Parts: sequence; structure tokens; C-alpha cells
Amino acid sequence: MDALKISGLVKKYGDFEAVAGLDFSVREGEIFALVGPNGVGKSTTLKMISTILTPTAGAISVFGLDTVRDAHAVRGMISYLPEEAGAYKNLSGHEYLDFMAMVFLRDSRKAAEAAAYGARLSGLGPRLGDKIKTYSKGMARKLLLARAVMIRPRLAILDEPTSGLDIVNGYEIRKTIKELAAGGMTFLISSHNMTEIEFLSGRIGVINKGRLLACAAPAALKAQFSTEDLEEVFVRLTQ
Amino acid sequence: MNIFAVLLRKEIKELLTRQLVISIAAMIFVFYVIGKSVGSHSRASGASNSIVVMDLDRSELSARLLKAMGGGKTPIKPSAFTDIAPAMAAPEHAAENSFLVIPVGLARSVEEGRPSRLEFYSRFRKDASGMGPAMAASRIRKVSALAAAEASAYALERKAPGLPPAFLRDPAPAEEYVVIDGRTEKVPLGQVVGFIQSQSYFFPIAVFFIVILSAQMIMTAVATEKENKTLETLLSSPVDRRLLVLSKLTASSIIAAALSVAYMLGMRSFMGGITGAAESASASAAAAGPALAKLGLVITTQGYLVIGLSVLFCILCALSMAFILGILSEDVKSIQAMLMPLMMPLMISYLMPIFIDLSTAGWGIKALLYAIPFTHAFMAPQNVMMGNFARAGWGIAYQAAVFAVFVTLAARLFSGDALLTLRLRLPGARKKAAAQ
Ligand SMILES: Nc1ncnc2c1ncn2[C@@H]1O[C@H](COP(=O)(O)OP(=O)(O)OP(=O)(O)O)[C@@H](O)[C@H]1O
Ligand SMILES: [Mg+2]
Repeated sequence: MDALKISGLVKKYGDFEAVAGLDFSVREGEIFALVGPNGVGKSTTLKMISTILTPTAGAISVFGLDTVRDAHAVRGMISYLPEEAGAYKNLSGHEYLDFMAMVFLRDSRKAAEAAAYGARLSGLGPRLGDKIKTYSKGMARKLLLARAVMIRPRLAILDEPTSGLDIVNGYEIRKTIKELAAGGMTFLISSHNMTEIEFLSGRIGVINKGRLLACAAPAALKAQFSTEDLEEVFVRLTQ
Repeated sequence: MNIFAVLLRKEIKELLTRQLVISIAAMIFVFYVIGKSVGSHSRASGASNSIVVMDLDRSELSARLLKAMGGGKTPIKPSAFTDIAPAMAAPEHAAENSFLVIPVGLARSVEEGRPSRLEFYSRFRKDASGMGPAMAASRIRKVSALAAAEASAYALERKAPGLPPAFLRDPAPAEEYVVIDGRTEKVPLGQVVGFIQSQSYFFPIAVFFIVILSAQMIMTAVATEKENKTLETLLSSPVDRRLLVLSKLTASSIIAAALSVAYMLGMRSFMGGITGAAESASASAAAAGPALAKLGLVITTQGYLVIGLSVLFCILCALSMAFILGILSEDVKSIQAMLMPLMMPLMISYLMPIFIDLSTAGWGIKALLYAIPFTHAFMAPQNVMMGNFARAGWGIAYQAAVFAVFVTLAARLFSGDALLTLRLRLPGARKKAAAQ
């Protein structure tokens, strides 16, 4: 069974068609990356998969369940990290992880376990005791990322997960994502970082103006355009 | 160009947003509505501004008093009645609220150096509001000053040696009686007027601030979660969305309930001060207390409970409306402007009763005011004092219904796309967004 299957997906904001008919699927344990220029509908697609927006047309199924009809069951399997998300500024890192673990797992023993795991994943150490408003952008992003995967969702939906992180932290996050995927977690990410995409993803979907232009492994795309540079593929595809 | 002028122009441009202009326009509209209805109200109500005088003495002195009082701005209407009660009940005096009785033997008392009195009666309805009572009080103050001067002159002309100066200064001091619902009590007019005014100014303004405060609180909470996108995270979680709405409303309701309890306690101690309960208040207030109580101007414990309930539902209504406005706000910054739809009815229901005596207002004004759920909280103290618990109860029921409607609407908005896509943009903002 596919972890994610999208067919004929359309989203309109008023008259404006942000997503104009997408079809693709993601296998379990795969890391799938959506790439494309700014404002082409990547985040909109991720929000529909995360059940917080309703598709205008088409269907999304997550592990066989429809995101509209079985929204509640889908929410129990996914974890969504919005782009440029914030956290509750007056909570400490620990309090935030505890709260979120409880919201998603609703079982205090499981939640405590998840929060402890999240604390380790975040790599923030003693700073977790400080209020989130004192964190730098990168620290907050690491906390949010840890929050997204600590509950061990079957499908993690991460919108630009490493934006704002320095090279070392970005590298560590990528390594963690790869390890978790090896353990069976499925990832759908969006990114503007070609190095990251090449390192991480099994397949990438290039979209422009709400449509899928290509969907293949990075190596296959490079071969198709006979270049060694994924960025060149991207530029030629989207022009 | 001078650098200061450049800076000044930039500051003004920043401040003079479309939102501000719309807010100002809305404010003008509110005052226009109030002004219009005040105008038509004062034409329609035709409340009398004269004093009915019953001269029972029919002496040279009483004639002079009548003449002296007639020299002021207040019209004096002589009346042939010989007793105050039938005079007040008479149909030709139905619109009159100020009466003066010049007692028999006034002239003789003054001539013999015995203090006499002038009896002023002021009639109010218990649900009186607006400027009327204060104006009546000032009318009586002016007329009694004229009468005192004339009576004093009369006594001095008689050159009574050995009489105390205090007597000569005011041989027939004014005695003030207040009539409410047919009950007459000798009580300083100022006390009663102060009490009535506290009903229409002081209590509503406290409610007004509590409402604004809690509305801002919940709007900021919703808009902040929206802006930080913490809301998106919560919405993608398996938590029931109705619980998310409920928890936010409950949290602000708890704070709102604490506020209304504080309000009730404040009101109680304020009333304690006026009606001079157990605690020692000022001497005159303590003396007036029993009289106010006899006039029926007291609130029982159940009364306080009803008022508190009404204030609570008023706040709940505001919270549920503010919740929706918070959902529609683009970000935290736009809250000030988004508060406008809540401010307008609040201002109308606060300001209108100050300028208009609701007890005599037309049905159009009443319908407008009672349609606004906040009015019922503002009116609760008066309803309770009049013993009109049914009306207070219906008010609370209406508030509860409005609350239910808005909570349902909020929950519906919260579980759809609208939360992320629907925005009440003001005209200026939309153009800018389209240009991007
Ligand atoms: N709430 C909304 N209302 C109206 N239009 C919207 C809304 N959200 C997004 N859009 C429009 O939909 C289009 C797609 O937006 P989306 O956020 O999905 O882009 P994106 O691919 O994630 O871009 P980026 O790489 O910059 O994050 C854009 O043109 C955007 O202006
Ligand atoms: Mg995006």
C-alpha cells in the first residue's frame, strides 16, 4: 500500500487555482521531496495532505484513508511542520514538547517517552529549560522539527524543514531524517535546497504553477537532462 | 525639504491608515445615531421642565416668593390643589415631576421668628436614566435659592432684633422629598440623583471595560496562534477541533468570570457606601441609606446574583463574537481595527441611556438597544431594583441565545477552510495584497 496517493488534486483560493491537478504517490519508508519556485503551490499541497485545507477537487489518501472523509484517523498517523512556524513563546522548550506530545498521543506515559525522545533529538540540551522566546531562529526550528518526529508518525510532512539552520545543524537534521526513514517512517518534504534534496530524497516531484513537471529519482532526472547539476535540471524544467 | 518635514510626512502616512479612517467614520456614525435619537426623543417625550407650586399660605410672603421664583428660568405653574398626593395623581400634572408646597402659616412663622420650611417634591421613575434627574435637581436648587433669598429679605424687612442670623439668612429652608413609585421619602435629592446616575454611568462603564478587555484577550490569543502557525499544528493533530474552541472560550470565560465577580464585589462595596450598610460611610450617606431603602433603591443578594449572571453572559457574548473576529483577523496588528464591529454596538448601548431617559423612550430606540445583548447587562441593576426579575431573566435568556448562536458559528468556522483562507480585509489591504 502507498503511504500517500494523490489523484487529480486541485485547490482554488477564490478564482485563483493554486494547485491545478496533481497526481503522485509516495511509498512507505520513502523520502519524497516537492520542489519548485516560490508560490507554485507546494505549501498548499502539504496543507491539504495535513487535513487543514480541503481540496477543491481530487482526492488524497494516506495509508488508504481519505483526508476528507477520514480526517480524524489520518490526523492520528501524520505529523505536520508548517513553514516559518512559531511556538508558544512563554513556554519553555520542555513544556512545549510535553504539551505537544500530550496533544498528539493523549496518553501520559507514551507522551513522556515521546517528549524525552524529542528533547534528545532537538540537541538543545539545558537550553530546553529556557523560554522559547529566548531561542534563536535555528534553535526554534530544531525544537519544532524534534516535535514533528518525536511522536513517530507514519507520515511526516515537513515544509522546508532545514530553512534557517546552519550547515552543521542542517546536516545533523538530514542524518536524523534518513535514519528515521530507514526505520520505516515516510517523509514528504518541500525544499529549495538542492544539496539537501540530493542527499535525502529517493524521488523528487518538480512542480510549477500547480502542476507536476517531473517525478523521478534525482539521478534519473540528471541523466534525462544530461547534466551533473540538479540545479540545472530545476532551472531548465521550470523555465 | 527639511528633514523634519520628511519624517513628519512619513509618520502621518503611517498613522493615517484606511483602518484608522474607517474607525473614525464608524465612531462618527455611532454619535450620529445617538444624536439623532436623542433629538427625536427629547421632542417626543416632552417631559416638563417646570415646577408646580401649591400655595397653601396665600400671604404677602408667599406671593412675593412666587414672584421671585418666577423671575428665574424655570416656569412656575400655580396649582389650586391643597394636598400633595392628589396633586401628583391629577391627570393635568401627569407630565410634571417637580412640586413645591408652601405650607399654611409660613408668613406668620417667619414674622414670629420661628423657622418654617418649603417642601420640594421630586418624582422619579425607578428605571429613570439619562440627564433628566440631574436637570430636575439643578432646577430645584436654583428655585429654592431664589425662594430663600426672598424669604430672607422678607424677614430682614421686618427688622426683628435678637433673631439668630442663621434664621434670618434662610427663614424657610427647603425640605426635599423624593417620590418613587408612589412612595414618598424625605431624603436629599442629590443622594437619589447620584444613585440614579451611578446606574447609568458608573456600572456600565465598568462592564464596558471588562468586555473590551476580555474581547481583546481572546482575539489576541486566536490571532497570535494564527500568526505563529501554532494553530496549523494543532489543527493537524488528532484533537477534536471543538475542544480547541471550547478550551479557548473556557479559559477566557474563567478570567471573565473572575472579572465579573470582582465587578460584583466592587459594586457591592460601592452600594454599601451609598446605602450605608454595616460599614461606616459618610454620615449623610448613612443617614440617607434607610430612606433609599424605603424608596426601594436596594439590591438583595439574589439581585446581585442576577446582575452577576447578566454581566457574565454579556462577557460570554462578547467573547464568542471576538473569537470570530479573531479568526477573521489577518494578524495581531489588525486586532484594533477588527474590534470595531464589537465596539459599535457596545458604544451605542452604553452611550444611548446616558443621553436618553429609557423609561420614556420610543419603541424604536428600545428595540435597537434591547437587540444589543450588552444592553441587558447594563440594565440589569435597574431591573433588579424595580423587582423586575422577569425582565432581567429574559435579558439573560436572550444573551444566552446570542451566545449559543455565535459559539456555533465560531465552531463551524474553526473546523473549515475559512480559518486559514478567510480574511476580513479592509479595502486598502486587499489592493496591496493583489498587487503582490
Ligand atoms: N490563504 C490564501 N489565500 C489566497 N491565496 C493564497 C493563500 N495561500 C496561498 N495562496 C496563493 O497560492 C499560491 C501557492 O502558495 P503556496 O504557499 O502553496 O506556495 P509555495 O509553493 O509553498 O511557495 P514558497 O516556496 O514561497 O513557500 C501562491 O500564489 C499564493 O499567493
Ligand atoms: Mg511554501
